[in-house]
Amino acid sequence: MARATVEEHPQKSGYALLVAVTLGIVFLLFVAFLNTVKPAPGAPPAPFLTESNFLYVALILYAGASALYIGFGVTGLDRYVKAASVLTLLGFLANTLAAGHRWYVAGHPPFASIYEMLLSFVWTVAALTLIAERKFKVNVIGTVTMPLAVVGVVLMQLLPNEVRPLVPALQSTWLHIHVTLAMLAYAACALSFALAMMFLIQDNMKTETFQAATSALTSAVYVSILATRFSQWGGLNLIAWDYQNKEEVFIQRGVRLFVTIPDLGWIFAIVALAVLAPLVFYIWGRVAHDESKYLTASRGVFVSIALQVLALAFFILRARSGAYASAEADGTFQTSLAASPFILSGIVSGIFASLLYLMLVWRRSDLERLLPTADALDRITYKTIGIAFPLLTLMIAAGAYWANRTWGSYWSWDPKETWAAITWLVYAAYLHMRVTRGMRGRWAAYFAIGGFAVVMFTFFGVTYLLPGLHAYA
Amino acid sequence: MASQNPLNKIIKTFSSIKTGVVLLILVVIFSAIGTFILQRPTTEADQIERTYSPATLHWLDMLGLTDVFHAWWFATLLGLVAVSIILVSVDRFPRAWKVLTRPYKVTDSHFRAVLPMQDKIPITDPDSALDIAQAAFRKSHLKPQRVGSGKETALFAERNRYSVLAVYIIHASLLLIFLGGIVDALYGYKGFINLVKGQTITEFELSNQKIHKLPFALRFDNGGRENYADGSPKKWWSDLTVLQDGNEVLKKEIVVNDPLVYKGVRFYQSSFGTSNQVDTLILQVTPKDHPGAPKEIVLQGMNPSPIDDDATVQIAKFIPDFVIEGGQVYSRSNDPNNPAIELKVVSKKAGVSGTWLFPADPQAPKIGETPYDFISKDGKLAPFTGLAISHEPGQYAVWGGILVMGIGLAMAFYCVHRRYWATIVTDPKHGQVLWIGTQADKNREHYGEEFTEIANQIRAELQLQSALTKEEKSLAHA
Repeated sequence: MARATVEEHPQKSGYALLVAVTLGIVFLLFVAFLNTVKPAPGAPPAPFLTESNFLYVALILYAGASALYIGFGVTGLDRYVKAASVLTLLGFLANTLAAGHRWYVAGHPPFASIYEMLLSFVWTVAALTLIAERKFKVNVIGTVTMPLAVVGVVLMQLLPNEVRPLVPALQSTWLHIHVTLAMLAYAACALSFALAMMFLIQDNMKTETFQAATSALTSAVYVSILATRFSQWGGLNLIAWDYQNKEEVFIQRGVRLFVTIPDLGWIFAIVALAVLAPLVFYIWGRVAHDESKYLTASRGVFVSIALQVLALAFFILRARSGAYASAEADGTFQTSLAASPFILSGIVSGIFASLLYLMLVWRRSDLERLLPTADALDRITYKTIGIAFPLLTLMIAAGAYWANRTWGSYWSWDPKETWAAITWLVYAAYLHMRVTRGMRGRWAAYFAIGGFAVVMFTFFGVTYLLPGLHAYA
Repeated sequence: MASQNPLNKIIKTFSSIKTGVVLLILVVIFSAIGTFILQRPTTEADQIERTYSPATLHWLDMLGLTDVFHAWWFATLLGLVAVSIILVSVDRFPRAWKVLTRPYKVTDSHFRAVLPMQDKIPITDPDSALDIAQAAFRKSHLKPQRVGSGKETALFAERNRYSVLAVYIIHASLLLIFLGGIVDALYGYKGFINLVKGQTITEFELSNQKIHKLPFALRFDNGGRENYADGSPKKWWSDLTVLQDGNEVLKKEIVVNDPLVYKGVRFYQSSFGTSNQVDTLILQVTPKDHPGAPKEIVLQGMNPSPIDDDATVQIAKFIPDFVIEGGQVYSRSNDPNNPAIELKVVSKKAGVSGTWLFPADPQAPKIGETPYDFISKDGKLAPFTGLAISHEPGQYAVWGGILVMGIGLAMAFYCVHRRYWATIVTDPKHGQVLWIGTQADKNREHYGEEFTEIANQIRAELQLQSALTKEEKSLAHA
C-alpha cells in the first residue's frame, strides 16, 4: 500500500525538510561559531576546540538527525533516513571529540560523575545505532535512539559538569573497566529493547495495543509524580537546589528539602486525566468489544501530546526561575531541573513514547516496509542479548573485583549490586527460556522489553531512589 | 515409576528448567524486596525506627525482611537454586557427553529424512563424488574424515565439538562461585578498626560485635593525606607493620585500592583523620628557681621526657575541648579546637606534681603547681587510620568461578558446534546421489547460507567432472 502511494506521487520529493534541517543546522552552527570566536567585551578569547563546543555541535547534529528520522515517520521517504544516518555519523564524531577532550582535560576516562556517564552513554548509543544500521540493516533504529541521545545531551547541560578530581576510591583501572562494560552492556540492552519493539510492529501487534502501552506508560508517569509530589493546595513539591554549590539542599543528612511550586500540581492533574482518558477508553473498548472506542482513545492520545508538552513547558519555566517557599524551612529556595531528573525524564519519555505512537498510527505501513522481517528482528534481538549478557557478567565481575580491592568485600548486597544481579538473572532466564524451551516471538520480545525496564531501574532508579554505596554515580 | 518413589518425583521436579526459572524469579523478587526495605546491617538503627512504625517494624523483623540477605530462607532459596542447577545438569549431561565422546558420524536414513539443512546432488561416479565433496569441505576450512567401510563409506567433518560442554562449564562455574560465597559466609570475617599512630593491635571487633584474635600483631606507624587544590582528598596512606612474636615481618604503605595482605587477612585503607591524642608537643620549660633559662622539650605521645637531671615531664591527660567547672577540667566535645593538657612532673627532690595547659585560651585560670613554668609552643595531634579488615578464604573460588564462567560464556555464545556429513545414497527418483547435510547449534541462518555455497560448489564440480567424463568417452569413441 505505502509503496504504491509513494510511487504514485513522485512530486512529493520531500526536499523541503532536508533543506530546512540543513539550513537549521548551518544557522545554529554559525551562531555557535560567532559566539565562540567573538568574545564578550573585555573577556579573553575563549578556546575554540573545547568539550562544550564539540558537545554543542553533537547536540545540533543529533537533533537534526532526530528531526529527519521523525520526518521520515511523517512522510515515509527513505532519503530522510539516509540523510539522518549521515548526520548521526557526524554527530557521533563530534561526540567522540567531546569525550576525548574531556578525557584529556580530566586525565581519567569520562565515567566519574553522572554527567560523564551520560556523555559516554550517549556516545555508546550513537555508536550502536550506526552499527545496527550498517551491519544489521535496521535503518529506522535512529527514530528511537536519536531522540534519546538528544534528551541525554540536554540533560547533561543541566548537570554540574566541572572536572572534579577523583576521590581515592575511584582511582582504579578496575573502575574504568567496570563502567565501560556497564555502558556497553546497558546500551546493548537498550538496543535489544528497540529491536523487540520493532519486532512487535512486524509481528502485527495491533496498533491499539501500542496505544494502550503508551497510555499506560504516560499514566504511570503522571500518577506517580502526583502521588509523590502533589501538595495539599494544588502545588507540586520539588527538591530545592543550591545553585552555588550545584547540589541539592539537605535539611539533615540524607533528608532533602522540598519546596512547593504553587498551582503546578493542578496542571499536572489535568494532564494526568488527559493521559488516563485514552487508557480508560481502550479498556472500555476491550470490555464492551466496541472497536469505535479505540478510535476515541487514539484521538485522546493526540490531544494528550499537546497537554504533555504544555506540562513540560510549565515545568521547565517554573522549575528554572523563581524562589519558592518550603513547608519545612524558613525563607525561599530555588529549584532546578537538575534536582528533578526523574520528573523531567518521565515527562520527556512520555512525550517521546506518544510521538512514536503517532508515527506508528500514521506510517505503520512504511515502517513495516523498511524494517527487517519479524523473524529477522527476533533473531537480532536474541543476538543483541547474546552480546549484552556476557558484558553484564563481566561488568558485575569487574565491579566485584574493584569492590574487593576498595572495600574489602566482593559482594555486599548493596542495592546497585543487587539490582545488577537481578538484571543478570532476568536475562539469564530469557536465555534459558529461549534455548531450552524454544521461547520465540511475542514472549521473547516481552522479556527483552521487561529486561530493559529492569536495566533502566538499575541505572537511574537505584541511584535516585535507593540508598547505597554507589553514591558516586 | 515416579509416583512410586517420592524422592524420584522431587528430583524430577528440580531437574526441570521450569522449576529453575521459577526459583530464579523468587530470588529476583526477594532480592528486590531486600533493596526496597531498609536492611539492618547497612542502616543505622534509628533511621529504621524513624522510617517504620513499631508495629510494621515488628512484622518486618519477624518475617526477616529487614535482613533478607542473611535470612535462613534466603540462603535456603539460593541452596535450592544450586540444587536445581546440579540436577538439571546431571539430567542433561549424558546427552552432551555422548555427542562429545561418540560423535554421530555415519548417518542413517531416518536422520537424513529429518535433517533441516541438506541437499542431494546427482552423481555419476560414487568414488570421485566423495573426493570432490572432501575437497570442497577442505576449502571451507573443515577437516573431513572418511568414515564407515566398503560400500558404506561416508564423510564426516566437525568443528568446535567442545562447545556442547559450554552450558555445563557455566553451571559448574556458578556452583564454584556459590561455594566461595558459602566458605566466606562460614569462615570469613569482616571488621573495622581505628588505629592511632603508634598503636598496635592483636585483636579487633568484628561487624557482628564479636572479638576476633589475630594470629599476629599489626602496628600503625604513620599516615597522612594528600589533597587536591580544591581540598578534596586525593590520597590517604598508612604505613603498617606486621609483627610476629615481636619481630617485624612485613612493612607496607597501604593506600585506598591497595591493601596489606598477611596470612589471608587483608587490611584496607578505609578512612583517615586526626585523633584526639597528642602526637608531639613542644614545650618551653623554665625552672621557677632559675628564671631566664628557658629550654625547649619535645614530648612524643604520652611518653615521659627528661627536663634536667632531676625531673621528667609527661602528658597525663589530653582533653580536646575543655570546660572548667568548680576548679575541675571537663571534656565538652571531641572537636580539638579548645584543648586542655595536663602535665605530670616527676622530680626526685620535689616529688610528683601536675599542672594544666590551655594553649587556645589565655584567659583560663591556672590550675596546679609544679617547680617549672610551661608554655606550649606547638603541638600536633596523632593521625588515625580507619582500616577495614577482612578475611575471605572463599574469594579465590569466586575469582576462579568468574574466570571459568567467562570461558564458558565465550564458548556458549561464540563457538558454534557444526557438523557436516556426506554420503552416497540411492534415491528412488534420481538413482545414486551425493547426500550432504549439516547441523549448527546456533546462528543457523549464517551456516545455512554457507552450506548452500558448499553444496553449489560441489554441484558445479560434479557437473564439470561429468562433462569431462562424457567428453573423454566421446573422444574415446571417436
